[in-house]
Amino acid sequence: MIWHSFIYFAGASLLMWIAGTALLYVKSLKRIPEIVIICGMLIFCSFIYLLWDEQGYPPLRTIGETRLWYSLFIIVTGFLTYRRWKYRWLIGYSVFVSAVFIAVNVFKPEIHHVNLMPALQSRWFIPHVTVYIISYALMGAAAITAVAALIRHKSSVTGKDHLVLLTDNLINTGLAFLMAGILMGALWAKEAWGDFWTWDPKEVWAFITAAVYILYIHCRIAGYKTNRILLIVPIALLCLLITWLGVEYLPIAQESIHSY
Amino acid sequence: MDTESKRKQKAPLIELIFISAVLTAGVALEIFTKGFDFSLISFPVNLILVLILILLGTIKGSSPLSAFGKTPVALILILLITLLSVAMGLIPGNSIKSSWPFALVYMMLMVSLSMAVGRRLRTLRQKVSGFFLKDTGGSLFKDTGFLLKGGGPLVKEAGFLFNHLGILLLLIATGLGRGDFKRYFITVPEEKVEWRGENAFTGEVEELPVAIQLNDFRMELYPSKIMIVNKTNDVIAGHGKIAENGGEIAENGQEEQERQKVQNSQKSYTLSEVNNTFNMGGWSVRVDSVTDRPGYAPAAFVTVKNSYSDTTLTGWISCGNYFQMSRQLAINDYLMVVMTPPDPKSYQSDVEVFTKKGVSKSGTVRVNHPVTAGSWKIYQYSYDTVMGRDSGYSVFELVYDPWVIVVYIGIVMLFLGAVTLFWKGGER
Ligand code: HEM
Repeated sequence: MIWHSFIYFAGASLLMWIAGTALLYVKSLKRIPEIVIICGMLIFCSFIYLLWDEQGYPPLRTIGETRLWYSLFIIVTGFLTYRRWKYRWLIGYSVFVSAVFIAVNVFKPEIHHVNLMPALQSRWFIPHVTVYIISYALMGAAAITAVAALIRHKSSVTGKDHLVLLTDNLINTGLAFLMAGILMGALWAKEAWGDFWTWDPKEVWAFITAAVYILYIHCRIAGYKTNRILLIVPIALLCLLITWLGVEYLPIAQESIHSY
Repeated sequence: MDTESKRKQKAPLIELIFISAVLTAGVALEIFTKGFDFSLISFPVNLILVLILILLGTIKGSSPLSAFGKTPVALILILLITLLSVAMGLIPGNSIKSSWPFALVYMMLMVSLSMAVGRRLRTLRQKVSGFFLKDTGGSLFKDTGFLLKGGGPLVKEAGFLFNHLGILLLLIATGLGRGDFKRYFITVPEEKVEWRGENAFTGEVEELPVAIQLNDFRMELYPSKIMIVNKTNDVIAGHGKIAENGGEIAENGQEEQERQKVQNSQKSYTLSEVNNTFNMGGWSVRVDSVTDRPGYAPAAFVTVKNSYSDTTLTGWISCGNYFQMSRQLAINDYLMVVMTPPDPKSYQSDVEVFTKKGVSKSGTVRVNHPVTAGSWKIYQYSYDTVMGRDSGYSVFELVYDPWVIVVYIGIVMLFLGAVTLFWKGGER
């Protein structure tokens, strides 16, 4: 049971990530901190590989396993965004979120060893979930940058502030992944149930989430007051969290085909 | 965001009044009719609506009507459909998705998109011809790199068109196309042909233009698990039930939960690994032999030893099926060794499909792998769950959707749109 050694793999990865992030603040080290962070990713990847190998199918079946990918991809996307925009705090944030998810997995695993049901044996399964998780990571980061811009500049924030531009960037990139995820979900649904879209509760909330981010993009084009537009971003993140985690707890969940 | 104040548009008052009027009409219709009936927009009505959409897309930018395709109106409409969706996603048992207000907001969204796309296409045409008029004479190939840059004109125009035309096509094909959408369930016994199906929307049995012949139904199972469970535990009752149902997995939420509790708390052992031993709470269980023949319930002969005393027990255990009782091996007054019913791994039907036009097609229908025959798609839906892998019939879901090709075009465009969105990032 490789799950029993999760705490060691994850602990080692987390240590590398924390150390790498701290080292980013030491100017003379050049590439070393980045290498340390990448090593942490590799350790985490090796755990996923071992688990995958042991189970015989991709660990994307339970909420606990979804969190596993999230812990990794929040670091990957945080790291890639850092490479482009050089925001060190973004990695710190990624490491923090990742740590929270790792902790949840350690203390409340929900890793029932249930066999993968036929409907989930689809070629869309891995890309659909993976792309969604990347999107979640980007959107989580966007919410932070949006709120940071609001806190730093209050109502005098302008559309050209670099935090706002970063928010735009994260949302555009995140929406690209979100749209890809929805489309793959639709293709999967067509293969599995004969219908692209049935307005199932989970689908409804996925639609709402995308629509709110699309609202943000168009509000920016229309040029409304930036401090008001930025408020959309945490609301959108709330919708996203409902889609991902909250739908199960809504009274409407009984009608969902997505709660297995 | 170069000139924020200049691009700021004034509130679209007339459009707001129009949208409110349409919404009010929608609410009134909803009260006086039984919701939106999709057969209202079945062919050829939906095709006429598409033509009207295209016509609206040609409205010139100078016309006062053109405001309906601009950002402020688009924002209002996206907000409206979002709010309706929030209601749809919160209120249990609502029927918003087939209500008049939802259908009308959906329509207006299509109109707005069509007008935005139309306007953009016209300015694009002007820009392209202007570009060629100005820049001919060799310069065309020198500095084209800027076109592909994140904020470059090519990425911008392509991005806009992919995203907006893609969404428009999706809305058309899944919304207006719904009027032509048909869905049936059809149960076919092995080695028989069936052409009557149950309409999924009306529940009526109808004669279909396609017939299905089921040549063979097959199922693969995950191996059963062997575990030690507590006799006094409710779980045992649950297992008894499972056996009574003949190997059917209990649907009841509580039993399922109990089952999972056992699976989590007890060490389980996979049937296929003969001669392996597992230890639990001072007991070791060894599987000596396994039988798993078609038509019979899987069974295993096990030897149980206590690690501290010399107690040794042997016996057959089985999860049972529709005609055989389940068997457990009692270790003492509290514990016993049991086998869980196997979960289905995959099931599939070898079929031959005939259409009225005389076409026949053979194939294998499996979950996530439908067979296509013309505008019909055939899905593996169910089987005789009591008989499990010995099921003598297969249930198929038949879907007829002549608009499906438009959906695929829309999806491809939106995928490309997502790529441009990613490429563009936040550069300005
Ligand atoms: C996947 C969804 C969507 C994405 C990614 C998206 C993205 C964009 C972007 C990036 C622009 C700016 C284009 C530019 O200036 O280069 C834009 C403009 C616009 N969008 Fe969308 N949009 C989406 C859906 C919609 C929807 C559903 C509507 C509804 C009516 C809409 C209406 C508009 C309008 C009216 C404009 C202004 C066009 C113009 O002034 O030329 N969009 N959109």
